[in-house]
Amino acid sequence: MNCETCQLKELVVEPLEIRDVLRCILHTIVFHRALGLVRPKDVDCELFEITYVQCGDAELERKIDEKIDLFIGWVEKHPNKKSQVCLSFYEVRNKQATWMFSNKTERLYWEQWYINLHVINTKTHGKSHNSKAPINPGDNALEESSSRRASLESALHEVLFQIIKFVNEKKDHIPSVTNSEVISFPYEITTPSSSDSSFGWHTDVLKRMLQTGHPSMLS
Amino acid sequence: MASSPCNSYSEPPIIEQVITEFFAKSLHIILESRSPFVSSRNYSLDHFASSPSSSSSSSSSRPRDKWFNLALRGCPAALENFDLWRQSNLEPLVVDVLLVRQSSTMDMTRLSPGRCLLRNPSGKDKFPMSPRQDELGTRSEKIIERWIVQYESRKNSNFGKEMYLGSRKSSGVSHHSSEIPTLYKKTYKRTTVMLRSLYLFVRLLPAYKLFRELNSSGRIRPLSLSHRINFFIEPFTQAEDAEMNQFSFVPIDTPCGRLCLCVSYLPILEDVSSEPSTPLSTQFIMDYVGSPTTDPFKRFQSLPSAGLARRHSWSNDHGGMPSGSPSPSPTYSDSQAVHYNPTVHLPPHHLHDQPRSAISIPRNALAARKKNTSFEDYLSSFPFSAASSPFTPTHFYGGHLPNSLLRSGSAPVSIPSSRHGRNCGLLDQALPPSSSKPTRPGYSSQTDLLRAQNTSASRTSSPEGKLQTKKDPLSLGDFQTGISSAKAFSFGKDEAGTLPGLKCSSTCIPLSRSSSRLSLLDGFDDSEFDYPFADDEDTTESCNRLELSEGKDQVSLNLETRGLVPVPRSPDAVVGALVRMLNTAPPLRQDLSNSVRSSQVFRDESWIPRIQHKEDMEAEVEKSESPVSSSGITASGLPKPRTTADALAELRSYKEMKELLVKQGGSQSSDDNCKDKSADRDSS
Repeated sequence: MNCETCQLKELVVEPLEIRDVLRCILHTIVFHRALGLVRPKDVDCELFEITYVQCGDAELERKIDEKIDLFIGWVEKHPNKKSQVCLSFYEVRNKQATWMFSNKTERLYWEQWYINLHVINTKTHGKSHNSKAPINPGDNALEESSSRRASLESALHEVLFQIIKFVNEKKDHIPSVTNSEVISFPYEITTPSSSDSSFGWHTDVLKRMLQTGHPSMLS
Repeated sequence: MASSPCNSYSEPPIIEQVITEFFAKSLHIILESRSPFVSSRNYSLDHFASSPSSSSSSSSSRPRDKWFNLALRGCPAALENFDLWRQSNLEPLVVDVLLVRQSSTMDMTRLSPGRCLLRNPSGKDKFPMSPRQDELGTRSEKIIERWIVQYESRKNSNFGKEMYLGSRKSSGVSHHSSEIPTLYKKTYKRTTVMLRSLYLFVRLLPAYKLFRELNSSGRIRPLSLSHRINFFIEPFTQAEDAEMNQFSFVPIDTPCGRLCLCVSYLPILEDVSSEPSTPLSTQFIMDYVGSPTTDPFKRFQSLPSAGLARRHSWSNDHGGMPSGSPSPSPTYSDSQAVHYNPTVHLPPHHLHDQPRSAISIPRNALAARKKNTSFEDYLSSFPFSAASSPFTPTHFYGGHLPNSLLRSGSAPVSIPSSRHGRNCGLLDQALPPSSSKPTRPGYSSQTDLLRAQNTSASRTSSPEGKLQTKKDPLSLGDFQTGISSAKAFSFGKDEAGTLPGLKCSSTCIPLSRSSSRLSLLDGFDDSEFDYPFADDEDTTESCNRLELSEGKDQVSLNLETRGLVPVPRSPDAVVGALVRMLNTAPPLRQDLSNSVRSSQVFRDESWIPRIQHKEDMEAEVEKSESPVSSSGITASGLPKPRTTADALAELRSYKEMKELLVKQGGSQSSDDNCKDKSADRDSS
């Protein structure tokens, strides 16, 4: 079974927009993978005129918000950086203990979504613009902010379309549903951790690779 | 099951069922986000799940909403309708989402309801989408989305050849019966994922934003959304095609074919917020659910305005212009065949901002009548089948309403029974032409409507005329019933239901019945609307039953005593009931919750002494007859200061009642003595 990977289009966001954007994207992805009985809940973005759908699973909401908080904390310590949030779906397989790890279960990732964010801080980014219009710096900032917000909304729309297209194009890799839970498959949300460098997510990826081995071995 | 299920190019039954349900679920998802009447928030999943659905899904043990593990709300009627008219899975399902623009210069009261049409499956008969031009004015429609759901059989399309020749790993030419469960699971899973995508996708298109704006706005707009369901694909014009963007979901392979879903949509829509709009008065909102407009008889009165079907139109239109004039107009001209129900005479736009109920039923009825298609009526009535009252009456109305009914009159309807006429007349009388201090915003509109009716020359039976021409010993009972009815219909849900006078009047007088409905703002008893026209007959019957019942309440007693129901009763019983009423009536209060009782008591106390001096007052009564003002209660339900004219009118009515008692009774003296005693008791 292949591990399908989807790199979503990069979004340029401000710190205050992170939560809205990540909630929208993560819930949209999970909704496609929640093949249990779902009572969809329409949710309007706070900052954008976009309505996305949640599964209505409280645990999922909590987990997503938790991860978003972690990510925001990391962003505060690493401002103006590009980063990724990874949403992975996996299967749990029993595996013989190898010489390296004594784990008896392994995770077989069959789908990974990379949400690419470039977090910017307009206060530091916008100085140059403001200096050019000393008469009405506030108005210019507002205009820039609103146009940036509009372009982000458009980009977020595109990301959601991208998710829908990906989900529709690739269905063969989805494992069989073996439970009746709302979210049919175990999932994992990975964010850059504070202890890591700016490319700290590599550590998590490496760890996962060591744990699971090559996907083709486990098909 | 055959060893090779695709030998006959027909899917295995279980796959066939998946295909059927896929069509239904797709339609549900699309309509839920495009048609407000479909997008019900009042239906519980349990209700939906418990409603049996027709066609193949009915045989499934799985409730329809649980198919594909996507539990949606509402709209079982639309799906049932779909099941009825859909002949086979080989027919494509084409859902056109229309943006309807109404001209602002048209006569609002003449707009007809109903823009949801289901074209004849054969495609031969195309029902006109628009009602007659002379009645509607300018109305333009534009397809902003076209959803096409279709099943391509391997036999019937080039796709079949591809299946044979292609190297698709997920499908094969033939499948053994042992593979069917696996195929079923695979197909079901893929279909589930596709429908998840569809559910999200419909919310990303521009039409969804328009839908939300029109659905949530409390303003009357010239734009509205409608939809049209076809079972054939009508090609776009070149111009239309050039404007549209297309998106196709990846088809899902089935053992003998594939499921396809695609959409053509306009990427840029008109900005609804830039359109001129009229703010809806909150008074309209207040009354809608349970208002007289939801009453079948009231609905008659409000039929002419297509704008009623705004946001909550189960005719699939919402957000459009109000077809009703802001104030009741003499367009309610002919109500001959309809029970008069003053509460019906609400201004059309009174119904606009109401939850998906009866607003557009009049419009739908009009449209259906014009189009002469019972199927359309059936279709347009469907979304309310699970909702509540409006559905059934509309279904009735849509196919059978004459023009006169649809332009319901403002004056009291000439009800076959003279009693009813009297009731109505007195009811009109009970409501003064001008409203004052409406308790709820909506009622001022009702009062306006009544005023229009009262002043309308469309009917000879004006309230005054009725009062004058139908002098009879109705008086007390009628008056009280009218008062209680007026109060009821001017009350909100918390109040009207507690009015004792409503109990009888709800059975005998359509107004009261509808008033009781008026009191139920958040949903009403469906049973009340099951037999909308049955009220015409049932009212008489119910009154007859009332006659036989032994003084169940004061109003019923009054009906009997005033001879409304000519059932012989002993005067003693009548007087006894009257005494009971007087004794149990609470003291006069100005607050609404007790206003009816208090007004009754007030009147009782006021006229009882006057009855004793009836000879003195008769002259005054004859001199100043002011039937409309005699009620002392405005449509809003607030008791206004009584005038002499009011008192004299009351006295006259009680006098008539007394005369009746005397005629029926025994000796006058025993009656007078009883009344004296009761007067003393009350005054003490």
